[in-house]
Amino acid sequence: MLRDGQVGTCGVRRRTGDVLETATFASVMQHVDANERKPFYHFRPGGRSLTLAAPGCTFACGYCINHRISQYGRESSVAWNGQPIEPAEVVARAVAEDADICFSYTEPSLALELTEAVVALARPAGVRVMWKSNGFLTPEAVDRAAGLVDAVNIDVKAADTAAHRRLTGAPLEPVLDTVREFARRGVWLEITTPLIPGTSAAPEQLATIARTVASVGAQVPWHLVRFTPTYRMTGHDPTAPADLAEAVRIGHAAGLRHVYVERALGAEGRATRCPACDETVVRRGVWQLETSEIRAGRCARCDHPIDGRWN
Amino acid sequence: MTRYEGVPELPDLIDAAEYDQHPDGGLIRLRISVTPSGVEILGDGMRPEALEALLESLEPDEIEQMWCG
Repeated sequence: MLRDGQVGTCGVRRRTGDVLETATFASVMQHVDANERKPFYHFRPGGRSLTLAAPGCTFACGYCINHRISQYGRESSVAWNGQPIEPAEVVARAVAEDADICFSYTEPSLALELTEAVVALARPAGVRVMWKSNGFLTPEAVDRAAGLVDAVNIDVKAADTAAHRRLTGAPLEPVLDTVREFARRGVWLEITTPLIPGTSAAPEQLATIARTVASVGAQVPWHLVRFTPTYRMTGHDPTAPADLAEAVRIGHAAGLRHVYVERALGAEGRATRCPACDETVVRRGVWQLETSEIRAGRCARCDHPIDGRWN
Repeated sequence: MTRYEGVPELPDLIDAAEYDQHPDGGLIRLRISVTPSGVEILGDGMRPEALEALLESLEPDEIEQMWCG
C-alpha cells in the first residue's frame, strides 16, 4: 500500500490522499505501422495498427532497446515525454486510417485504464485493440485485460525464475500464469522470446521455453528475436543466425507448429507453412504481408485449418 | 543535449545476409545526404550504443530512432 504522496516502484502511479493517480493516460507517440511489426503474424495479417506507448515498464531488462521510454520512472535520466491522450481522438484516427490500435514499446498493463477507455469507444467502431506485453500482471489485472484486448503478444524471456528475476527484476511464474489465462479466455496469443545470453539463448533454456509454450497450445506462434547488445548488456555479441536456426528447430521439436524469425533467416524464417501439406501459405517481408494462401482460415491448397484470426 | 525521437520507420542499411560476416556486431553503415534543411546522416548498426555515440559526437539537436515492437 502506497503512503500518501508516495510513487510506486514503476514510477507512474502516485497516491494523493484517497486517490491513486496515474501518469499512463498518455503516449510518447501515435503512429501507424504494420501488425507484423509487433509482431503479430496470425492476427489480421496485412493490417495496420495505430500504436500507443504510455511511458514506463514493470521490468528493468538490461537489453531493452526502448529504455529511453520504457524506463521512465526508474532511471532519472529518462525524461517525461508523454502527451495526454484523448481516447475519442485516438479511435477516430484509427477509423480514418482503417487501423486497429496496439499498445506497444512500453508495458501496456501499466496503461490498463487507458486501454479500458479506448476499448469502450473502439469496440463499437469495429476497431480491435492489441497489447505487446511482458505478461507480468496480477490475476485481477489479467481478468480485466482479457475482457478488453483482442490479441496479445507476450514476452517469455527466461526458462526459470532465477534467470528471469536477474534479467527483469521479477519472477517468471506470474508471466506464465498470464499466458495461460489469456489463452484460456480466448484472447489470440503469440509469444516472443529474445535470445538473451545467460537467460534464454542456450539450447536447453530454449527447449524449456518451447515446451512451456507448446503446453499452452501447439498453435501458438513463437517469435524468436535476435539479441542486440545495447543499454546495460553491451558486453555480448549479437545472436548468430545459426543459433536462431537451431532455436527454430528446437521449437518445432517441442511440437510448435509456427516458429518465426523476423530477419536473420530471410523470407523462410517469416513464412507460415500449412501443418498438413507443408506448403507455404503466408509469405512476409520484414514488416509486411506479401501473399496469403489462406481462405476462410484454411489452407487454399489442402483445406486444412490454419490457426489465427485472419480477418 | 541530444533528444531521441521515436519514428515509425527508417530505412535499413544492413541486410540480414551480412550478420554472419560480422559475428561481433562491429558493422556500422552511414548514409550522408545534403537536404534543403542541412545535412542528414542515416545510420544503421549492430551495436546501437556504438552508433549512438558516433551520432551524438556530432551534437545534433535530435536523433530519430525506431523503437522495438
